[in-house]
Amino acid sequence: MLSIFKSIPTHMDYKGQKLAEQIFQGIILVSAAIGFIYGLIIEQFGWTVYIVLAGFAVSCVLTLPPWPMYRKNPLNWQPAVPETSCEPSQKPQENAPKKKKHK
Amino acid sequence: MNTVLSRANSLFAFSLSVMAALTFGCFITTAFKDRRVPVDIHVSRVMLKNVDDFTGPRERSDLGFITFDLSADILLIDPIFDWNVKQLFLYLSAEYATRNNALNQVVLWDKIVLRGESTKLILRDMKSKYFFFDDGNGLRANKNITLTLSWNVVPNAGILPLVAGHGHVSLPFPESYETTRSY
Repeated sequence: MLSIFKSIPTHMDYKGQKLAEQIFQGIILVSAAIGFIYGLIIEQFGWTVYIVLAGFAVSCVLTLPPWPMYRKNPLNWQPAVPETSCEPSQKPQENAPKKKKHK
Repeated sequence: MNTVLSRANSLFAFSLSVMAALTFGCFITTAFKDRRVPVDIHVSRVMLKNVDDFTGPRERSDLGFITFDLSADILLIDPIFDWNVKQLFLYLSAEYATRNNALNQVVLWDKIVLRGESTKLILRDMKSKYFFFDDGNGLRANKNITLTLSWNVVPNAGILPLVAGHGHVSLPFPESYETTRSY
């Protein structure tokens, strides 16, 4: 069953991640400020907690699923290099310099 | 932040940190408040007995019975309940000195007043809730026994202040014991 969840793509590109982080930090800070002032006015701390929880729920909906606005700047990967027969010989040459560095 | 779980993790941790800061703010707004209220205590009846105290080591100890009246102004109590107060714990204690001990303090009665309940603090002819045993026989003919009402303000966040009430009453105890008759 877990494979179903793992197959849903949830990635965002880097600019999208930055945008998502700014969005949820902003929403939670704003709801904390509103909640603090409202709780102070009506003299009940419970309302402060409720308003912050509402802000948390809103930012969950806005930032957890990978909306298209977070995928506007995709990374351009290099085109895939087809595998050739000379690749296995390159690996022992890569290992040798590493052993020299350890000493 | 590439997967849902890592985004959810950082969102949740941020929310908790913000919540902790708000709780500290709630504590700071009420930390330096004066919570004393003048209280009127009046004692209507005092009786003294000398009985076996099975919780103590000696043969017989003094046992006092006090009936008292308590009243405090409601308009002054209500401002104590701000957004950082969960309940008030009131207790009446008696303080005196005897030959054996320099200072004795005994709690006679307590009450919990939750926020939202009526703060009507006018009580008449209340009997003490707990036994007023002395450590020995020091209550008889004691010249000065002081009753004070103190309270604990139990907050939602922060320190528990212990406030001594403003009112107190001193009274001497009777010279002789009352004997109970057994049939």
